[in-house]
Amino acid sequence: MQNFISEQNLNTLLDKLIAAGKRVVAPRLTAGTVLYEPLQKAEQMVHDELPRRSAKETFFPVCEDIMSYEKEGQQVRLTDIDPNSFPETILVGVRPCDAAAVPVLDAVFSWDYRDEFFLKRRDKTTIIGLACTTADDACFCTALGLSPADPKGSDLFLTPVEGGGYTCETFTEKGEQFIASHGSFFSGQSDAKTLPLAQPQTDKFDLKKVKAWLDEHFEDPAWDSIATRCVGCGACAFVCPACHCFDIVDEGTEKKGKRRKSWDACGFWKFTHHASGHNPRDQQPKRYRNRIMHKFKYYDDKFGQTLCTGCGRCIRICPVGIDIAAIVEEISKK
Amino acid sequence: MCSNSSTSDNIYLPFLATVEEVIDETPDVRTLRLVFQDEQVRDGFTFRAGQFAEYSAFGAGESTFCIASSPTRTGYIECCFRAVGRVTEALRRLEPGDTMGVRGPYGNSFPIEQFFGKNLVFVAGGIALPPLRTLIWNCLDLRDKFGDITIVYGARTEADLVYKRELVEWQERGDVRLVKTVDPGGNSPEWDGKVGFVPTILEEAAPSAENTIALVCGPPIMIKFTLPVLEKLGFTDEQVYTTLENRMKCGLGKCGRCNVGNVYVCKDGPVFTAAQVKAMPMEY
Repeated sequence: MQNFISEQNLNTLLDKLIAAGKRVVAPRLTAGTVLYEPLQKAEQMVHDELPRRSAKETFFPVCEDIMSYEKEGQQVRLTDIDPNSFPETILVGVRPCDAAAVPVLDAVFSWDYRDEFFLKRRDKTTIIGLACTTADDACFCTALGLSPADPKGSDLFLTPVEGGGYTCETFTEKGEQFIASHGSFFSGQSDAKTLPLAQPQTDKFDLKKVKAWLDEHFEDPAWDSIATRCVGCGACAFVCPACHCFDIVDEGTEKKGKRRKSWDACGFWKFTHHASGHNPRDQQPKRYRNRIMHKFKYYDDKFGQTLCTGCGRCIRICPVGIDIAAIVEEISKK
Repeated sequence: MCSNSSTSDNIYLPFLATVEEVIDETPDVRTLRLVFQDEQVRDGFTFRAGQFAEYSAFGAGESTFCIASSPTRTGYIECCFRAVGRVTEALRRLEPGDTMGVRGPYGNSFPIEQFFGKNLVFVAGGIALPPLRTLIWNCLDLRDKFGDITIVYGARTEADLVYKRELVEWQERGDVRLVKTVDPGGNSPEWDGKVGFVPTILEEAAPSAENTIALVCGPPIMIKFTLPVLEKLGFTDEQVYTTLENRMKCGLGKCGRCNVGNVYVCKDGPVFTAAQVKAMPMEY
């Protein structure tokens, strides 16, 4: 069984894929920040840092065209986007918390109507997860029942071993195919000890208890104290691997332009603002309540999944120090 | 999923439609009658009363309204909107012959088959008549399937009443009881209707609740005061239907903004019974 790849072989393989014109996306330093971005060279990949934003934008870009229009006289010509034109992508070095969010997002983008912008990119992407050897205070994947070595969402999963290189496990046909196509880079060596993995210091939440409280407490004074600090900047949603709310806007003139889909956030007051002036979520605590409810109740009600993987990005980025892990833990103790 | 999909897999791609007719209902409320440009779409587009669509003015974006015409009237659809924002202002600038976009139909609908053999009471206020007007014409076009039909419709002033020509038509029909009203001070000396708020006029009109379905659509304040009147008249919450309107973008259960608690207005609605609405958190 091919279950080991050396560091050098991984780099050579990625360079070969890049040279063959494949899009290889991995954590890399981009203008001073580590983000999931296409690599030009394998050595650009950052192995030990959680990117500032999640990997969701590989499938669900910050902003993307969904069609373009052009007016001629009273007629309008629409130009569709061909989802088959999306490039084949190898998404490598993906943190377990990011990979785990991808099958969670499959649910919303594929139920009833299929959003091929997300799903086609998903089809054309091979996800190579990478176990974490470091964690910080904000990491709480373990509280959600995941772990720094959880392969959920990965087609192929790498765990670093002592002396360099990675053990490699496959979890899908796509992963098996990847190894089969690039067999010469993998070897059978498997007795190396894996490096000590990260140990996030969080106990597992009782998500049933959390949901049970949320089921009964849409109205509760706790919401005011939980979210009164929230300034509605939306940063938490933008860095989140699972937040997927979006806006649809036209960019251009009446004559010519594009229709685009772009990230949005339930923390923005305008998100639910009616043209009449009425706003069902007219105060910030109501908007923050929706964030918690969507993640830990509504998504569960609808799809049987939690819309959070414990990456901790929203905790790190919040300008007013809102800690979702602390909030959920508090709810679980109510 | 709707049966009107085009050949594209792109669920956000609208059908193109030509503005066939423009009707000014009030100084700022306009009806557009639309004909789909693609022959196959025109012939294949079906919907049920209560469903909505995303209408686009290219360059301005999309806006959500009900399909205001009746599914029994084929070959065209109509929408009716108040010009209050970027998209609706742009839609109002469209002239006959111009092209716009339509995505839909989306959402659930009035279970009209369950209303067969029953009396119907429509209660609407202001710009909220269009979501009921689709059903009113649907029922009038199948008139013998229903018992008594009562329409209680009010607006702030005479000028704010929409579908004025149809109010005349309904008034003149022998098989409809139309009770129209305007708020105190909203009437001219020639006004031949009632003066008073919709809930009060409804109570005065006192339609029987027996074997009757009430369909209510209006501003939140009107709904708030109408539901207790219906209760007083003997209607149960299961006999009362309404439609909810929340801001939407996709209309397809994905973009995440129209939810009332865990209920998605775009997928689970927009049509709900009063019993369903009362079970929801106040988020609409």
